[in-house]
Amino acid sequence: MNMDTLALVDKVFGSKILLYILLIAALIYPFASPLGIPVSISSRTMQVYNYVKSLKPGCYVYMEIYYEVAARGELEPNVVALVKQLFDKDCKIVFVSLIGTGPIVFSLLRSTAADLFNTKKYGVDYVYLGYVSGQEAAAASLAKSIKGTVSVDNYGNRIETLPLLREVDKATDFSLAIIASSGTDTFNWYVRQWYTPYNVSLLFVALSVIAPSVEPFVGAKQAIGMLVGQRSAAEYELLVGRKGLGLASMDSQSLTHALILVFIAAGNVVYWGKRLRTKKK
Amino acid sequence: MSLIVKRVIPQLIVSIILIVMIVFYFFYVNKSVAGVFSAWDKALSDWAIIIMAFALMVGGADIFRYHLIQIRKAGMKQAPFSIVTILLELVMIAFALIGFYISYINPESGISITTQPQFAWLYTNVYAPSDTAVYSILLFYIASASYRAFTAKNPTAALLLAVAVIVMLGNTSLGGLIWPGMLSLRDWIMTVPNTAAFRPITMGAGFGAITLGLRLLIWREVSWLGRRE
Repeated sequence: MNMDTLALVDKVFGSKILLYILLIAALIYPFASPLGIPVSISSRTMQVYNYVKSLKPGCYVYMEIYYEVAARGELEPNVVALVKQLFDKDCKIVFVSLIGTGPIVFSLLRSTAADLFNTKKYGVDYVYLGYVSGQEAAAASLAKSIKGTVSVDNYGNRIETLPLLREVDKATDFSLAIIASSGTDTFNWYVRQWYTPYNVSLLFVALSVIAPSVEPFVGAKQAIGMLVGQRSAAEYELLVGRKGLGLASMDSQSLTHALILVFIAAGNVVYWGKRLRTKKK
Repeated sequence: MSLIVKRVIPQLIVSIILIVMIVFYFFYVNKSVAGVFSAWDKALSDWAIIIMAFALMVGGADIFRYHLIQIRKAGMKQAPFSIVTILLELVMIAFALIGFYISYINPESGISITTQPQFAWLYTNVYAPSDTAVYSILLFYIASASYRAFTAKNPTAALLLAVAVIVMLGNTSLGGLIWPGMLSLRDWIMTVPNTAAFRPITMGAGFGAITLGLRLLIWREVSWLGRRE
C-alpha cells in the first residue's frame, strides 16, 4: 500500500461524520429489519438460570433496583426476564431502591412488563418499598428488619397492611437477593451487609462496563452468579421464553461492535503502513 | 473549652461508634448479648439513614445557592443554564410537595412524591430522555476514539487489542457465529485474568478502609474535622 492509498484510507476512516452516519445506520437498521443472528447461551447465564430454577416454588426474593434511566437499556431486560422466571414459579418479590431514581425506574419497569405484573397482586405477590436513603446503612438496616426501617411503601401504604411483608421481614427470610445496579458500590454493600453476616445468596445484574470490577465477588462465590449487559439479557430472554429488548437489540449491538472493529482494523493498517514506510525511507 | 467542643467530643463520638460497629459486626458473645447489640446496631443504622435523608435536602439547597451565585458572578454566559436548573428544581419540589400533601391527606389515593402525575411526567418525558441521550453519546466518542487510540503500537498494546476484540465479539451474537469457542474464551478472560487484576485492587481498597478506620480510632485522621494534620 503506497502513501497515497494510506492517506486516502486515513481520510475516509478518520472521518467522524462517516463513522457517526454508519453507527446510526447500524443501530437503527436491525430494529427495522431484524437480522436474526442466532444467540448462543453462555455457561454462566445457564448457571444463573438453573440456580433460579432450583428455588422452591413460592420462595421469597429481594430485588434491589439501583439504576438510572440511562442504564435501563442494559439492566431492565435482565430484570424483566428474572421477574418472569420468578413469577412463573409463584415466587414473591420485595423490590426496593437505595437510589433516588429508583421509584421512576420501577414505574417504567412495571409498564414495560405490564403483562407480568398484571397477573400478580400488589401487596401479596410483590411489593415496592420505594426509595430508602442511607445507602450501605440502609442495606444493613433492611437486612435486620424491613418493618423497622420503612413504615410505608412507595405508594403510601402502611407496611403492616401488606400481606407479603407480614411473611418476610429480614435478610434470612429471603431465598435470594438480586442486585440490579449501574454502580459498583451497591454490590459491595450487599456483600458486606447481606452475604457476610447472613449468608444470603446474591445474584448480580451489572452493566458490561461495571462487571469486570464486580467479578472477584462472583469468583469468590460471594454471589451465585452475574448477568452482564444486553448479551446476558438476550440469553435469559431465550431461556425464559419471553422475547424483549435484550434480544431485539442484539443485532444492533452486533453490527455496531463489528463496525467499530472494522474502524480499529483500519486504524491499525494505517498506523503500521505509515510506520513501515517511514522505516524504509 | 472550644478545643474540647470542636475536636475532642466529635472524635470521641466517632471512636465510640467505630468500636461499637466493629463489635456488632465481628463478635458474637451469646444470644441475649447479641439481641441487645442488634437493637443498638439497628438504631445506629437508622440514624445514618435519617442523617443521609437530611443531607439530600442540604444538597438540594446547596445546588440552589450555587446557581444563584453563578447567575450573579458568571453573567449572561452561565445565567441561562443556572436559571433553567433553578426553575426546574423549584418546579420539581413544588410537584413533590403536592404529592406529599396528597399522600398525607388521602393515603388511599396511592399518590406519593414520586407517583405524583406531573412529577412523574416531567421525570419520564424530560429527564429520562435527556439522561439516556447523554449516556448514548458515549458510543460515538468511544467509536471515534477507537480508530486512533486502539493501535497495536507495542506488544502490550497488541495484547490489550486482542483481548478487547475477543470481549467485544463475545458480547455480540457475531462472536459465536465466527467461532463457537468465543463465548467460553470471553468468560475465561473475565473470570481468570480480569479477576486476578481486580482482586488486588478490591483488597487494596479494603486495606485502605481498615487503615482509615484505625487512623480515625486513634485520632490521627482529622481531615474530616475540616483541618489538615
